[in-house]
Amino acid sequence: MPDITTKITGLTLRNPVVLASGTVGYGPEYAELIDYETVGAIVTKTITREPREGNPPPRLAETHAGLLNAIGLENVGLRRFLSEKLPEAAELPTEIIASVAGGTPAEFCELAGAVGERDAVRAVEINISCPNVRRERRPVWDDPEGTAAVVTAARSATKKPLIVKLSPNTADILSVAEAAVGAGADALVVANTMPGMRIDLEKRLPALGNVTGGLSGHALMPINLALVWKVSAAVDVPVIGSGGIATAEDALEFLMAGATAVQVGTALFLDPGAPAAIVWGIREHMRMNGAETIDEYIGLAREEKQRCTEKIAAD
Amino acid sequence: MPGQFVHVAASEELTLRRPFSVAGVPRERSLDLLVELRGKGTRTLAEQAEGSSVSVMGPLGNWFSPPREGATAILVAGGIGVAGLRYLAEEFVHDGRPVLLLVGARTREGLLDGLMPRPNGGITLELSTDDGSTGTAGTVCELLASHLERVENPARVYACGPPAMLKEAAAVALRHGLPCEVLLEEIMACGTGACRGCVVNTKHGYKTVCSDGPVFDAAELLFEGGPYA
Repeated sequence: MPDITTKITGLTLRNPVVLASGTVGYGPEYAELIDYETVGAIVTKTITREPREGNPPPRLAETHAGLLNAIGLENVGLRRFLSEKLPEAAELPTEIIASVAGGTPAEFCELAGAVGERDAVRAVEINISCPNVRRERRPVWDDPEGTAAVVTAARSATKKPLIVKLSPNTADILSVAEAAVGAGADALVVANTMPGMRIDLEKRLPALGNVTGGLSGHALMPINLALVWKVSAAVDVPVIGSGGIATAEDALEFLMAGATAVQVGTALFLDPGAPAAIVWGIREHMRMNGAETIDEYIGLAREEKQRCTEKIAAD
Repeated sequence: MPGQFVHVAASEELTLRRPFSVAGVPRERSLDLLVELRGKGTRTLAEQAEGSSVSVMGPLGNWFSPPREGATAILVAGGIGVAGLRYLAEEFVHDGRPVLLLVGARTREGLLDGLMPRPNGGITLELSTDDGSTGTAGTVCELLASHLERVENPARVYACGPPAMLKEAAAVALRHGLPCEVLLEEIMACGTGACRGCVVNTKHGYKTVCSDGPVFDAAELLFEGGPYA
């Protein structure tokens, strides 16, 4: 039996499939549809210090091979998360990663500290990349200094593994990734959604109340896969791949590109059984190919490419 | 229960499932769905061969409240909205409650011949078309207003249809001091309340159509400023 246990700096998961923030709510919403024993971990809906009502509807628009969403970080706020949502999530038979977002480094510090001190929270995910919240200045996800400031603040507040979720919407993801790692990130999620929009021809209006939203689903996969390839070569912390993963083959592409684990989100909407099927498919692939551990896949495509290049040079 | 919906994976080529009201329960472990051809999802469903299988999640969501004992339930449907009220009408008839069903469309083609509730004994059915080609000429809300002037012992208005029609039906019911429940439709992702995608604006903030609804008390909805404006 192949071993699919996955280690992400201080956090051991029974398998590399993690459910992405925002898609499973706080967890219990999907308890009847997802067998949580089959997933490595879930990332709860991003919480902010105060409750947020989110963006005006419509909040969703389907695209060719994808989905635009502009939820706007609707959430119950820190206090209700700790008193109501987290205790419920803690009952689920999987690991809980709590996602937080703040407006300032001080808020990130407070949020990371408050969720990080709970036993049920196995790691803290720092969401610096939600595209649906208006910002006046340069967004943090596109700003290495801003990223360093919020990660430093969060790092000072918790000893739990700190995972930073990057945005694909930057010309220089390496500088942002290095800034996050330099400030103490234990792992990176590469990456969040990409901004996009659609027009409702009947209403002659933008399809989303927020005008633009984040593109997820299969259309996003090649973009984020390329970013995983790039970032995983440059940093020495685990990279968690995310973006349009719906099948075991998709997940294996991310692992071979350099990801240590993957996040699955939008695929749940069509098939809540997708995470379990991905785990099964990875295990089957390992069995068929005689792989004993997940580590054998991580960055395999880069190693192969290197071998090919060396062979050509030698010839 | 009448009002609930199922979330159907119409095609693996799509990202989202498609929600459909339960339009009837002809026998155990069996559902009727009324599907209007609108886009890729509904067309793919329509192209399925008889006996083929699709993944159906549900039933999901809340359901309509029963009317007062002995009082007449007034059901108002606009076009394909009859899909959301058909099962309700059948259940009311089954329970021996008097039902007045008003169905309106722009033209007679929109009235979906043969898709009305069954059995229809006990149902008073009235039709309207905007162009007067069948039934009363005018909107179904005008028909509702004229019936509310004379119907004896009305219990509640149950409405399903396009946003503008729902807003008007709610206003008509309110003018006659009647409670009104509306069945809403929204583009939907998870179907479980997790993703917060299918919200509508209410007096108590944004509510999800999939898990707080799809049935809402019209008095709770803020029709202004949203898709129901």
